[in-house]
Amino acid sequence: MKRHVAAVAALVVAASLVAGCSGDSGSDPKTFEFWSFTGINQKADVEVYTKAHPDINVKLTEVGSTTETAQALTAALAGGKVPDLVLIQGDDLPKFMQAPDNFLDLNSRGADKIKGNYLDWVMNQSTTGDGKIIGIPTDVGGLAIAYRTDLFKAAGLPTDRDAVSRLWPTWDDFLEVGKRYVGATGKPFLDNAPTSVYFQAVNQGTQRYYTPERKLDYGNAQVKSAFDLTLKFLAANVTAKQSSFSAGWTAGMDKGEFAVVAAPSWMLGSIRTNAPGTAGKWDVARIPGGSGNWGGSYLAIPKRAKNPTAAWNYINEMQSPNAQLEHFLTSGALPSTPSVYADPKLTSRSEPFFSNAPIGKIYTDSVTGLKPFYIGPDDGPIGTEFLNVLVSVEQGKVPPDKAWSTALANVKNAVEK
Amino acid sequence: MTRRRSGHRVPLWVYAVLTVFCAISYFPLYWMFVVATTDSATATRLPPRLVPGDNFLDLAGLVLETVPFVRALVNSFVIATAIGVGQALVCSLAGFAFAKLSFPGRHTLFVIVVLTMTVPLQLAIIPQYMIISRLGWVDTLQGVIVPGFVNAFGIFWMRQHIVATISDELMQAARVDGATTWQVFWRVVFPLVRPGAILLGLFGFVWAWNDFLWPFIVLKSPERYTAQIAIKALQNSRDIDLGLAMSGSFLATLPLLVLFVFVGRRLVGGIMEGAFKG
Amino acid sequence: MATILDPAVVTRKPPPAPHGGIRESVRERLAPYGYIAPFFLLFAVFGLFPLLFTFYVALFDWNPIGERTFVGLDNFTRLVDDPRFWNAVRNTFSIWVLSTVPQLLLALGVAHLLNHARLRASGFFRMSVLVPYITSVGATTIVFGQLIDRDYGMVNWFLELLGLAHIEFTASVWGSHLTIAAMVMWRWTGYNALLYLASLQALPREIYEAAAVDGAGQWRQFRHITVPALRPIIVFTVVNSTIGGLQIFTEALLLSPSAAQTCGAARQCQTLTLFLYEQGFGRYQFGYGSAIGVALFVMVVITALVNFLLVSRSRAER
Repeated sequence: MKRHVAAVAALVVAASLVAGCSGDSGSDPKTFEFWSFTGINQKADVEVYTKAHPDINVKLTEVGSTTETAQALTAALAGGKVPDLVLIQGDDLPKFMQAPDNFLDLNSRGADKIKGNYLDWVMNQSTTGDGKIIGIPTDVGGLAIAYRTDLFKAAGLPTDRDAVSRLWPTWDDFLEVGKRYVGATGKPFLDNAPTSVYFQAVNQGTQRYYTPERKLDYGNAQVKSAFDLTLKFLAANVTAKQSSFSAGWTAGMDKGEFAVVAAPSWMLGSIRTNAPGTAGKWDVARIPGGSGNWGGSYLAIPKRAKNPTAAWNYINEMQSPNAQLEHFLTSGALPSTPSVYADPKLTSRSEPFFSNAPIGKIYTDSVTGLKPFYIGPDDGPIGTEFLNVLVSVEQGKVPPDKAWSTALANVKNAVEK
Repeated sequence: MTRRRSGHRVPLWVYAVLTVFCAISYFPLYWMFVVATTDSATATRLPPRLVPGDNFLDLAGLVLETVPFVRALVNSFVIATAIGVGQALVCSLAGFAFAKLSFPGRHTLFVIVVLTMTVPLQLAIIPQYMIISRLGWVDTLQGVIVPGFVNAFGIFWMRQHIVATISDELMQAARVDGATTWQVFWRVVFPLVRPGAILLGLFGFVWAWNDFLWPFIVLKSPERYTAQIAIKALQNSRDIDLGLAMSGSFLATLPLLVLFVFVGRRLVGGIMEGAFKG
Repeated sequence: MATILDPAVVTRKPPPAPHGGIRESVRERLAPYGYIAPFFLLFAVFGLFPLLFTFYVALFDWNPIGERTFVGLDNFTRLVDDPRFWNAVRNTFSIWVLSTVPQLLLALGVAHLLNHARLRASGFFRMSVLVPYITSVGATTIVFGQLIDRDYGMVNWFLELLGLAHIEFTASVWGSHLTIAAMVMWRWTGYNALLYLASLQALPREIYEAAAVDGAGQWRQFRHITVPALRPIIVFTVVNSTIGGLQIFTEALLLSPSAAQTCGAARQCQTLTLFLYEQGFGRYQFGYGSAIGVALFVMVVITALVNFLLVSRSRAER
């Protein structure tokens, strides 16, 4: 009996020890931990890096969505074990910029010498008021529209990307094309309006939810016009009402349930993996409404990182203009380093999955001439509240004429104390 | 409907109703299996196909590619075993003290135990998280295991069990032999109530295997996920296949179904035994 | 709970004192505390202290990676004015009613059927009704979510067969509440039926037989024997499901993956616990999240008081 009990007790202790030990990767200078989110293919970068440095061991963890990764990082900074290197999505960054002491000031590693490589407005987002650099930008969003050439043809629309781009210089023209498509086929034109219209249009303005003076101002005319524009799409009933990244959205994309998806540069990879059966049937056209950016990410090093040197070496090497160019060539994420925008490798880059569209050119065009706006600490939750109200309108749960006031009230509840 | 001797002959409709009820109990599990074996093109077709397909290995492979699912199953097993064993030990000890020992404050302390059963400690989850992070236990398995030992109902249950199983005469007899309390517990009481303790441990195991909120908050990196958290990760994965989360759910449920085949009868007995006689 | 709180159960004849020397007797006297110490220690660290600390944290604007400022009762005044809070209260209550009432009635019926003396395969039936109980809430939600999917779900296929339009269950208040209630019911009905069955089996069979001889059918036997006999255990299951109802979280989190933390775009099925999670761990407002925890605590106390009144009333009637 006694032995039995002892064995059981030993098991409990052993289990706890296993748990404890596995949590510790030690401070081996050749190893560092890297948290990323899914869908951005950092794995490819890590493979390139470890091929060049076979002695370095990068422990890459894809934590989850961008939001989940930011939440996990917050939890870690608040008391857990922190990674050595972490990828933070642009809209999540401002929250961390409020508490910059949690991160290494990358100037101490020489970031001040390389910051000129990156787009000013992107670099500004990760620089504190007193000049500390928290993150190095890995990519920018860049906006475009992905469309199905076969479905356009069936609807009697042009299929050539330049002709298609000429169809919709403005969002209103885009809506007219949508109505034509629905009229011709009886099928939805766009996957959804909240993500594919609102989140694009609101990122094309000169101001989003904060004034340039960094004051909260989410009810401004630019936001309202993007919001009203989305309501017009909903009223016209041209969408499949499939929330982006939902199971129904994926299935619908694979089945050709809708013909058009708004595609920031990082979306192309998502379309490729979610609808592998549609290879060659897509093309990419310019986005209506002019230049804009949605997304883009930063690499940062938490202050408590065990191996900041290895992490910095990785940033320094993999985020150089040339390395970003290489990353673009394999993954499609647009470099944040303007010096490569004119590089022939970028401008001549075409993508077979998307009918050989010159994606390098399309996306760099969409960010040149962009007027940056200030992104504030609550941009993430504010965006979610606006999106949610539009989804509710789409689901018929909020009347369109009440949508704007509902949205303002919801945002107020969420971010004003 | 009215039968002369319904106490003896069971009407057929009773079987019919019970069969339907059991079918409803099984159906979601069966459906999990069907979708977990079907490719997404078939799974998104209407009318739905009601028989399993042959895509199980493909989907399972995709699950393993997306999250470290084998690791998650191992983690679940370690956590659930440790919690099951820990609860059985902690509750047997305390149950014994409350059942068979007299000490000042016994009544008050037992009332406290009972009161804690009525307060869902989930509402204190924020400070709980602060404590775990103070201990440096965020993202560790012991951060899930150790708080899981707390089970007031288990103490109540073990106390009842010990009262019912161990007579005061037996206690006295053991005492007369000069045994210390500890010896009485280990040599006399525990062997006799071991079946009850094991049953309690089994319930602890099932509970811990299926628990979601606390592991979801404590465990952050995929190598530390439990099977339940892995399901959530599958549901959230950007490269969504409709069958992916279903396949993960099935894989996470399968171990318990196997366990249930062996111990289901005892679990049923345990629930009925723990019931309060009217 | 009725029986548990009865002090008569607790007080028992103390066992005889042990023999031995003074030191041993001191040790022996302290031994009981040693046996209950593991529980109370763990409970103090992971239960009681966090519970009390919730009240403290709720007085702050508390950002776990930034600053914390004392704000007094501001979090509570904000909570009372916050429509999202009252929405979560309504949702929690509605889901609780929708799941508990039919669940317990159904469990009663099933227990009554399982209680037939000569039921064949009764072991099989008893095990079968318990299968949902060992299925995790996570897996349950994934399956139910698939079954009610707007485009590809089986339920909507049935509606289509009946000539009805597809319903997006997760989009509406009633649809999402019914879905969650169905999941809760599926998981717990069998478990509660077994609890009832155990109480029924403590009843002498002769009562039913006598009733049958007197010509009472199934329904009258159910109405006049089963239900009254089960009164205490019914109170127990009601309390249990109320506590469970206040804690509903996983179903709500996993039902609408594209707006997980609000259980849909319009917070249509965001429960109190999910609201607490959203504020505490989604937005990292520990202070405001703790204020929600305090509100939950108040509701638990109210529930306990109501329960106490019900129990004393039912006792008085006996």
